[in-house]
Amino acid sequence: MTNEVVKVQHLVKTYGKGNEKKFTALKDINFTVENGEFVGIMGASGSGKTTLLNILSTLDKPTSGEVRINQQDLTQLKGNQMADFRGHEIGFIFQDFNLLENLTAAENIALPLSLQGVAPKQIQPLVMKIAKRLSIESVLDHYPTELSGGQKQRVAAARALVHQPTILFGDEPTGALDSNSARELLETMSSLNRNDQVSILLVTHDPFSASYCQRILFIKDGEIGSELRRGERDRAAFYQEILDNLGTFTE
Amino acid sequence: MLRKLAFSSIKSRLKDYVVLFSGLVVAAATFYMFMALATNQDFLGKNSMLSANNTMFIFIFGAILLAIITFFYLIYANSFLLTMRQREYGMFMMLGAKTGKIGQLIFMETFLLGMGATLIGEIIGIGLTQVVARLLVQQMGLTLQHFNSFYWPAFLITLAFFLALFIFAAIWNSHKLMKTPVLKLLHSAEQPARAQAQPIWLAVQALLGVALLAAGYWSMINIALLQLLAIPFALVTIVLGSFFTFNATFIWLLRLMKKRRSFSLRGIRNFTLSQLNFRIHDYTRMLAMISILFALALGAITVGLGFRNDLSVLIDSFDAYDVKLYTHSAKIDAKVAKLDIKEQATYSYKVKGNQIYYRQDQLQDQPLYYFHYQRSGGISMQMPQRRRFAAKDYQISRDEPNGAVQNAYNQLGIKSIYGGSNLTGHLVTAAEFARLPGKTSQLTLIRVQDFAAARQKIAKIEQAQLAAAPEFSEVLENSKYANAQMGTAMYSGMIFMGLFLGLSFLAMLASCLMFKILSGAYSDVKRYDMLNKMGARTSVLKASVAKEIGVLYALPGLLGIIHVLFGLQLFKLLLLNPYRGIWLPFLIFLLLYGLYYWLTVTLYRGIVIPKVEIDK
Repeated sequence: MTNEVVKVQHLVKTYGKGNEKKFTALKDINFTVENGEFVGIMGASGSGKTTLLNILSTLDKPTSGEVRINQQDLTQLKGNQMADFRGHEIGFIFQDFNLLENLTAAENIALPLSLQGVAPKQIQPLVMKIAKRLSIESVLDHYPTELSGGQKQRVAAARALVHQPTILFGDEPTGALDSNSARELLETMSSLNRNDQVSILLVTHDPFSASYCQRILFIKDGEIGSELRRGERDRAAFYQEILDNLGTFTE
Repeated sequence: MLRKLAFSSIKSRLKDYVVLFSGLVVAAATFYMFMALATNQDFLGKNSMLSANNTMFIFIFGAILLAIITFFYLIYANSFLLTMRQREYGMFMMLGAKTGKIGQLIFMETFLLGMGATLIGEIIGIGLTQVVARLLVQQMGLTLQHFNSFYWPAFLITLAFFLALFIFAAIWNSHKLMKTPVLKLLHSAEQPARAQAQPIWLAVQALLGVALLAAGYWSMINIALLQLLAIPFALVTIVLGSFFTFNATFIWLLRLMKKRRSFSLRGIRNFTLSQLNFRIHDYTRMLAMISILFALALGAITVGLGFRNDLSVLIDSFDAYDVKLYTHSAKIDAKVAKLDIKEQATYSYKVKGNQIYYRQDQLQDQPLYYFHYQRSGGISMQMPQRRRFAAKDYQISRDEPNGAVQNAYNQLGIKSIYGGSNLTGHLVTAAEFARLPGKTSQLTLIRVQDFAAARQKIAKIEQAQLAAAPEFSEVLENSKYANAQMGTAMYSGMIFMGLFLGLSFLAMLASCLMFKILSGAYSDVKRYDMLNKMGARTSVLKASVAKEIGVLYALPGLLGIIHVLFGLQLFKLLLLNPYRGIWLPFLIFLLLYGLYYWLTVTLYRGIVIPKVEIDK
């Protein structure tokens, strides 16, 4: 059982306080992510993907239910604990990169370590290591505006991984990339997952991105509707199955 | 419909609007207050030690400075308004609102906001003028004459000035929003730029900045050498020096800090430093201007209070004796008995025709005090020393009377020497005095412990003497008390001007800085949101904001203080010791400046710090 990095049970999220009109974004969500798994969450806009991700990353609180990441119950966290939790356990990659434009790539990558109080001497080698892994050593001294979309996203990935989080959350990370950069990024992600045992939870509505996952959860109107496993199939076949499933799922 | 939408978004940003609006109100109120003084010639003429013409010049100079800073202030306040609104207006335009209609709306909004603030500001200004004037008068024991808090010309000038500025601002805003592409309006927060600067050029500028400042300071210290040339020279070098210092020296320091990895890679420091690095580039001119205005404002307050310090010292040097009794009555004696007397001496005199006789023995027993004026050594103002003659100084001779005797004739005169007294003084022995015909009169000279404390009591004695013996009015009108009254009246105008100019400048410059910083806040929202997602604690983010803004406030403040410390050298001409009691104006000033800092930090945090705890 200790192999679960994410465990969600009976998660409900309702918006609207008191007399306001209530809206239930998530109704009874249950799933787990095993250590070293690459899981995708798919769903149309408004299906509750973002709400789920916000709750998993302690940016929002569940109305009821239990959310555990790395055996830690998120609902018990308060104030600084939530921030520290995000800092230690979670790495983020966003659609619009969210790099800080006034810091160089290297400084962006170093930031999570600085925030955790890692000694400055140890920071430099760690940044170099992850930069090499993502092949961005040559752009470390550049500011984000001087980078291409693909490079930016790899810098963002480096920043998300430099502190070796328990899990990497991707929120439509390929959304703003051209198809080549998107493919490269996804290859990198699955390589990280295979070779470095990084657990990844990818939220997307793009079937191509999803086809890199080992398992896909389909979310619709705040509920998990169905689940697909890639198993031993190749990616192209899995992609086809996702497309087929989407067709039936959305109807 | 659109109007309704525009209004509803004002409501959602009410807090920011309240700050903007009250800022404008304060600007209008200050401007009115200043104009109420500057355009009121009666007030100026009676309250200044300089002639009315000179004072007009000083006040017009002040008014121009105030107009310039108000202009800049409105630019910054306006850019704050614009950044606050551009997203919404961009949205309306995207939804298909006609550009013309939007332009109209922006024009209306800017104009109505501005005019509303101006009118309210003027009304508040009238009230404030009254309150501030009364407060100053009470607190400082000053007397202000011809002071009217409501003054039509001032009201109209203020209205016209702000009207012109707001029409300009409204046209500017609507033009700017209409010309900017919609997409840019929507994504204005996402346009960074790399700070480009060549290290060598940076180093040259940094050195140049320090060198220019040094030259400016040197010229102010050596005003004796450079004479009037020192002022324009200092002005140019210090303005340029401040500019280069901000443009290079501070940036160079920031880079140095950033480069020291063991320093910068701790916590959120690197982010804070980078924010500052970006900001200072953008703020160079602004910060340089603020350091100069800060110096002017602080200087004005310091000099204002310096005049106040001088006043008591000056009054003490008007006369070696605090009260002179020319006549006696039970009423007067009773009043004299109430004084806290340090020393008193009575001298006899006899008048025969145009001759007046004094007793040598009395003067030898109790020699008079006098003020010794040193030969002025250079340009600084010096006070005379209180000394006492020796008994041997009072010698009877046929020659011209010596200093001590001449002094006795003056001090003990019963007609004013300024009024063209035709009495000739004589010093005689006691025996000779007794032989002289005529009535023996007495004159009592009194020194009290504390003239300022006894001033009210002395006033009553003077009045009683005038009533009882009008023949002494000439000397009584030149008494220490009478001179003190006149001096106070003259100095109060200067003090009032100093304080008023200083405080209004401070309010304006601090608001300028505040709005400039807040205008940038909206583009920072994303950065702080990002940091929050990366797990930076709220307290860390808050501290970063406080530090960043703190540096932006502290740097011009610090430089301004240094400017003032050197600039006070100029006032050695007008003040006894410009540095005396300097802590008080500095403290008042820093408290107010700190208040603006606190307000800026609070508002900035309200804009950028993400809400971590989302309610269930």
